[in-house]
Amino acid sequence: MTSVTAARRKARKGIFRELYETFRDGDAATRLSFLVMGFGSLVKGQVIKGLLYLGSQALMVWYLVGFAWQYLSKLDTLGDVGMQRVWSEERQIFVRTPGDNSLLILLFSVLSIMLVLGFLVLWRANIRSAYRAQRLKEQGKPLPTFADDITSMVNERYHITLLTMPTLMVLAFTLLPTIFMILLAFTNFDQTHQPPGNMFTWVGTENFRNLFGGHPLIANTFGKVLGWTMIWAVIATFTNYLLGMVLAIMINNKGIRLKAMWRTIFVVTIAVPQFVSLMLMSQILHDQGPLNALLKQFGFIQQSIPFLTDTTTARLTVLVVNLWVGIPYTMLITSGILMNIPKDLYESASIDGASPARMFFSITLPYMLFVTTPYLITAFVGNINNFNVIFLLTRGGPMVTEYYQAGKTDLLVTWLYRLTVDRQDYSLASTIGIFVFVISAGLSLLVFNMSGSSRREEEFQ
Amino acid sequence: MSEIRKPKAMRHNLVRALPVIAVLAALTLLLPWLHVPAQEGADYARTGINLLLFDRGILRLIPLAAAAVLALLVGLSLLARANRAGVRALVVLFSVAVMGSIYTLLTAKVTADASGLMPQPFLVAHLQIGFWAFLLLSLVGLVVALMALRQPATYVVLTAMGVVWLLPILWLVITSLRAESGAYTTYIIPKGWTLSNYTRLFTETEQFNFPRWYLNTLWVSVVTCIITTTLVLMVAYTLSRLRFPARRAFLNLGLIIAMFPGFMSMIAVYHILKAVGLAKSLISLILVYSGGGVLGYTIAKGFFDTIPRSLDEAALIDGASKNTVFWKIILPSSRPILVYTAITAFIAPWVDFIFVSVIMKDDYANYTVALGLFKMLEREHIYQYFTRFCAGAVLVAIPITLLFIRIQKFYVEGVTGGAVKG
Repeated sequence: MTSVTAARRKARKGIFRELYETFRDGDAATRLSFLVMGFGSLVKGQVIKGLLYLGSQALMVWYLVGFAWQYLSKLDTLGDVGMQRVWSEERQIFVRTPGDNSLLILLFSVLSIMLVLGFLVLWRANIRSAYRAQRLKEQGKPLPTFADDITSMVNERYHITLLTMPTLMVLAFTLLPTIFMILLAFTNFDQTHQPPGNMFTWVGTENFRNLFGGHPLIANTFGKVLGWTMIWAVIATFTNYLLGMVLAIMINNKGIRLKAMWRTIFVVTIAVPQFVSLMLMSQILHDQGPLNALLKQFGFIQQSIPFLTDTTTARLTVLVVNLWVGIPYTMLITSGILMNIPKDLYESASIDGASPARMFFSITLPYMLFVTTPYLITAFVGNINNFNVIFLLTRGGPMVTEYYQAGKTDLLVTWLYRLTVDRQDYSLASTIGIFVFVISAGLSLLVFNMSGSSRREEEFQ
Repeated sequence: MSEIRKPKAMRHNLVRALPVIAVLAALTLLLPWLHVPAQEGADYARTGINLLLFDRGILRLIPLAAAAVLALLVGLSLLARANRAGVRALVVLFSVAVMGSIYTLLTAKVTADASGLMPQPFLVAHLQIGFWAFLLLSLVGLVVALMALRQPATYVVLTAMGVVWLLPILWLVITSLRAESGAYTTYIIPKGWTLSNYTRLFTETEQFNFPRWYLNTLWVSVVTCIITTTLVLMVAYTLSRLRFPARRAFLNLGLIIAMFPGFMSMIAVYHILKAVGLAKSLISLILVYSGGGVLGYTIAKGFFDTIPRSLDEAALIDGASKNTVFWKIILPSSRPILVYTAITAFIAPWVDFIFVSVIMKDDYANYTVALGLFKMLEREHIYQYFTRFCAGAVLVAIPITLLFIRIQKFYVEGVTGGAVKG
């Protein structure tokens, strides 16, 4: 790893040195390419390529001046002029004039900065191309024609051809929104600062301070919700893991017939979309739902059990229902691994006269724990972000007033969801989102390093 | 191992326990099973005996008693000679006893109530210690008998679990066929059966245009499937096979971006789509699902990593371009991962109800089935639409379930990140 980072650091330092050396060694045309893109190529006769470079520069300038500047220039305050009512003489009424829209300012600024960064990559390619053309000319070799360049797109530069579209998609629909939302954590974009009517602005780390004690109600809620999220994730992960493995062992037991049938029964419950199965569960467990009704009819209880509306019961319920959801997953995952345990281990153990229980504790369990630790951590992260089970069953409830817009079964993600969708408290939600990211990313990186799939990727080839 | 010990000997200490259990089960016949309290009003007292004899709900207890007596006889015969046939017979008898008891428990109430003679809630109030002891002993007997035969008693556990897991889904199917509307019923088996919930989903479209949603979803998922599969294969091939300067950076960036909670960015996605005039359109859904799906390239990449490199090197030496290698060598050997990627991409629009709700807001015409069904269960609609929700859910669940069963093997590798490859 260290050698890789060292190499990368060297490469990064190389960008500026390369630019400097190109400028030093370049002829006039190459030097002019620093200012006018495609100039070097045009002069050397690569007309189409040169025009493409020049065109992209023109487009970029036009975009920046004509469109982006009105937003970028206001990035520091996110807008100064709010929506106003102005007396219109000709119509004899007050009309609203649209003020600055902080949201669009921030959004288009981020977009423009990303575009500028992308443009810089193109700019550097233009300089390289000009310098290469210059060198080839000096050596008296023929320059690559436009057709050659096209051919290279399916060979040496095939990665550019293949990666452009996917990268653009990810940039537009994942990276740009994510950066935007991260920046929101440093603003006061909440219910009282809603564009276009009202503007929001930068507030520094105030949201973070609120979360960690500055705002007693929010800080208290955050602590409690975080606590329950962790308790939930630990219990949910381990109960699912252990019971799911027991189920897998039962099904994979040598004497059991119709293995495929048993497995399918449980897989079906995974395959049914969660919004169907979990909403059904919430109906079944409702105060007037069939389960309570049946229990009452049979005389087991007099009053409905508040499966989803009482703090303790609701928390138990979500954990139990999560077993229903999660055990088949673990079964499915561990089945394959159980079959992978080398058979000779068991054979030699049985020759030595080991009992089945002994074999389980000495062979099966250690093997499973060793192999599935990455899965266990992935499952833990998955449970921290287990939106569906909580949202579809209790919607985070029971809601309480001592929490800020949260309920007793709310996880950080469901709280985040309510803050954005129902409350438009975007800045607070983003702050929580960053926090969730830190937890998930930390644990996931742990898995990534542990699983060694990054190190082993060349192994098969 | 099992080959060595054939035929398997019975566990004789367990066989010895069987007669004891059988005797105890039979002894429960001496305990009170049913308590019919005296009731004011002459009719009831007069019909007390009739109730026992003629009401079907309670007659179900008689086969149970018969099973107990038979178990007693067979159990005693085991004392004379411990034979496999006897133990097998006990397995059958105890199974009948357990299932019969549960069946009685679940259904007798309905018939008892229908007779109109029972003033109080049936069963728990009326079934006495004898019945409960019998149920428990039959269960124990079944497990012991199976264990004595060295038959895994896990069948019992598996069956019980299977019932618990399938019951909600069964209830979904049953409710979708229920004739009477309403969300919360006090019974499970419908009073009337009908297919109208399905037909009305497609004919009564003023408020909830289910057929339109179904076509929306189908359209979105087919296009998403094509785009995502193409993009994923492109990314996976590039990152697996091509070596270029920024490769590491791409790998790391992909890893990190995928870790941000999606909810965080969806509001921003909405505003981006709105800024380019695409909000509330199906195209925006396709873009969002495809954009998200691209990040699922890791499994395909892992798969490509396992295709021997010597294959493409040989082709490259023969003068093939990298493009040709991709089409002629990698793709043909990637059928399974192609199917997996396509199916996962196809399923996504059917099961998502969060992104679509943020993007579509109240634009009913452009809903997908997931969000539409979700809306049916809102408080003001649930009473009228619950049975239709179930019908719609069945129509969504069937294709998704079949597709998922098809890809479950790769699903496992996906979740474990290929870390536990066989």
